[in-house]
Amino acid sequence: MSEHDTPAVKIADDPAFKLPTSLSSLSMPLCIGGVAVLLIGWACGSSVSAKFGMSAYLTAFMFCLTIALGSLFFVLIQHLVRAGWSVVVRRIAELFMVMVIPLGVLFLPVLATLLFGSGTLYNWDDPTYAEKNFLPMAIWTEKLRWLNQGWFTVRAILYFAIWSALAVWYFRRSVEQDETGEKAVSDRMQYWSGPAIMAFCGATSFAAFDWVMSLAPMWFSTMFGVYIFAGSVLAAHCTICITSFTLQRMGALRDEVTAEHYHDLGKFIFGFVFFWSYIAFSQYMLIWYGNIPEETHWIFERQLGAWGWIGIVLILFHWALPFLGTMSRHVRRNAPLITFWAVYLLAMHYVDLYWMIMPEAGSSMGGFMGVVSSLFCVVGMTAVMIGLVLRVADQTKVAAVRDPRLQESLAFENI
Amino acid sequence: MSENNEKKVHGIVAEYTSVDSLLNACRRVRDAGYKKTDAFAPFAVHGIDKALGIKPTVLPWIVFGCGAVGAVVGLAMQIWMNSIDYPYIISGKPMISLPAFIPVAYELTILFAAFGAFFGMWALNGLPRFSNPIFTDPRFDRVTDDRFFLYIDSKDEQFDEAGIRQLFGDTGTDYIQTVVDDDSSSKVPKGFFVAWAVVIGLSVIPVLVVLKMRLTNSNLPRFHVFFDMDFSPSKDAQQTTTLFADGRAMRPDVAGTVARGDMLIDMDFMTGIDMEALTQVDARRAERLVRSFAEPSPQQAAEQPPVAAEDEKVAPEDDPAATDAAATPAAEAAENNDSQGEGSDEAETAKPAAPVAEPSVMDTTPWLTENPLELNKELLERGQTYFGIYCSVCHGLNGGGNGLVNRRAQKILATKWIPPSKLNQSTLAQDVYPDGKMFNTISNGIRKMPGYAAQITTRDRWAIVAYVRALQQSQNASIDEVPAAEQEAILKQQAEVKKQLEEQAAAEAAQAAAKPTEKE
Repeated sequence: MSEHDTPAVKIADDPAFKLPTSLSSLSMPLCIGGVAVLLIGWACGSSVSAKFGMSAYLTAFMFCLTIALGSLFFVLIQHLVRAGWSVVVRRIAELFMVMVIPLGVLFLPVLATLLFGSGTLYNWDDPTYAEKNFLPMAIWTEKLRWLNQGWFTVRAILYFAIWSALAVWYFRRSVEQDETGEKAVSDRMQYWSGPAIMAFCGATSFAAFDWVMSLAPMWFSTMFGVYIFAGSVLAAHCTICITSFTLQRMGALRDEVTAEHYHDLGKFIFGFVFFWSYIAFSQYMLIWYGNIPEETHWIFERQLGAWGWIGIVLILFHWALPFLGTMSRHVRRNAPLITFWAVYLLAMHYVDLYWMIMPEAGSSMGGFMGVVSSLFCVVGMTAVMIGLVLRVADQTKVAAVRDPRLQESLAFENI
Repeated sequence: MSENNEKKVHGIVAEYTSVDSLLNACRRVRDAGYKKTDAFAPFAVHGIDKALGIKPTVLPWIVFGCGAVGAVVGLAMQIWMNSIDYPYIISGKPMISLPAFIPVAYELTILFAAFGAFFGMWALNGLPRFSNPIFTDPRFDRVTDDRFFLYIDSKDEQFDEAGIRQLFGDTGTDYIQTVVDDDSSSKVPKGFFVAWAVVIGLSVIPVLVVLKMRLTNSNLPRFHVFFDMDFSPSKDAQQTTTLFADGRAMRPDVAGTVARGDMLIDMDFMTGIDMEALTQVDARRAERLVRSFAEPSPQQAAEQPPVAAEDEKVAPEDDPAATDAAATPAAEAAENNDSQGEGSDEAETAKPAAPVAEPSVMDTTPWLTENPLELNKELLERGQTYFGIYCSVCHGLNGGGNGLVNRRAQKILATKWIPPSKLNQSTLAQDVYPDGKMFNTISNGIRKMPGYAAQITTRDRWAIVAYVRALQQSQNASIDEVPAAEQEAILKQQAEVKKQLEEQAAAEAAQAAAKPTEKE
């Protein structure tokens, strides 16, 4: 019933499902180089100030973490709604979602800074912070019941435990299906996707509060978790799009991922560009309308100096431009074009995180060293993550080769 | 055409039993070059557009255009309504505050886009259309169930019945039918009109009832649909209530209430005193002044006089100024100014006056030497207006001290009357009597003159100060200050007046000389 000639389901050992050697050989260099670049970036940032270095590190960490979490969400939601179209690209998301485990290791520097840094990164850990800023002690003591080293550490462990458990379980089931092709495995993954998504949302929202929002300890926005989540899901769709495009260029999945799949990824990119803007605006408008100093200061600080310009850049280039750019189906069905937008949006996603995190490290962008530090950190961290993704991918397949719905996904066609 | 010779042919339709056979037939028809075709299926068939060679629809552009129009309409509507047609401050936000407008603009974008999609689809499909000739074929009913149809319209350039029948025949269909005019009756069923008549008839009844109520008289009391809207339980002005101990339904302003737009936290502006300098000279007094403005006690008037009257010239022995108490406005008012007889609890009130030798607090206070407002025509005109309303009755319209009240007092030989100052006298010149001091005098009064702080807003008092300066200048001006163009006219006028005065004087002198005895 399709206008296309539906590609035949290839056997599981077909080279189309194998990570091309040109990519797998990059794994080691990327990991090692990435760590080196990350360290240089952190050192450059520390030359501005210790707080700046760790903030640049945290920004890069959040960039990678949001991609991994968005991928985890992608996998869970596909199972939750029993989506058929996405089977050919689901493995790519699965490869990125297991990155929450190495990212747990990469979180250790942040945790160590908290435990031994006395407020180097998180102001609330500075015992003199409340006094220096004339904070009302009644509120501050209540805040400290949540924001303290011990409970923060326990929570961080809890978040990573939830994410890792979900990621590993879903990854293992999916790989298991590569061997058996059992429909029962799909059923089990679908069965658990509901509770899994609830656990995921709770952990992600609170992690956003803990790791990003608490940088400004007196500020609060109940929407903040959703804000991070919106950027995260957008970033994940962009990553899947870029990865599948790269794999196709390198020779894998050539027949499997078609314009139809890019079209769907493009729709989600388009949708989440708008969802991100919707959430960002909703958060802004409530604060703007309420006009309460304890809420407005966060926005106000981000309207001073260069931060104000970055804010405008976000409105124009994280919303307006890609919104119009990805609106047309002709763009979405054109793999190179939609991949261009995906790369562009990942860059804007970093700018978004930068705008959230870096103003807390000081009123300036840290001059030349600051910019170099931020760039090196994110490039290094991303390189490490890609290196590890390639390593995992090399040991498995780049698509869910025996998923019972693979045929459906291959034959998928937009109306 | 053989069997339906007399009827107009609209096209030819073929029936298929499966999606695949339909799609195959579509491709054949497309490849044969037919353009005016249509396919019918019980459900949406993926890829049928391409199989039938249907061009991509322009509907997305219509939707996009409508959405853009919706956004513009939403923004323009709100900007016009809220900031042009009926300017109204909401939550202290600017008149055109984009964040507040975005939700409505967003919703209108969606609404217009949805309308664009819905009505655009109708327009593109030529809807509404109540009947289609293809419905004449009874087998076509199964298109909503389990059959697929392909149709070629007779308006197609290549339309050729025999050729199409052959083409359809090749695609594996066993049912090919020519679609002809629907000759069934197009009369609207009678029941339809009856139903409409009934509905219209019923809908007239409420209107008639309302009209009858409106146009006829009745002895019955008015019928209150919403009782609590006709008789609001909320209190009106001047009513009593049992809710509050004082029985007043109208609540007095909370202490410290500031009228909208009157949030003047500039102490210099409010007192006419250079507070920075005062802090250096007398920190305690400065603090008390600030306090008196920040937390007015409930009994006091809206604005409390920071420094009350002085009596420099007329009653110098009354001047208590050098004491600390001088800074306590109410205390001083009690001592000095019978027109402002408000008492004070402060113990300092009881202190006797300090030795006369010490300089008056009025002289030691670091008054503002310049008007804090920007001097322009508008301000001076405002000052002129308020001077005319409040000051001129005593001081005269030219500030010469001979207003109507003064003239009356002179006429009735009022014993207790203290003549108002001539505002152009040298002791009130800017260099000896700073603007701040004059502002203070207007605010809090002097001698017989009451304070006007309660009647005239701070800004307007400063405007009066500015106008008084202008008056002073006008009374002591030299001819050089007049623009050259008008100098001549003034000189001429002056000369005439002088001449008149001289003539008058001469006449009087002549009269006096003529009748010297009468005078004595």
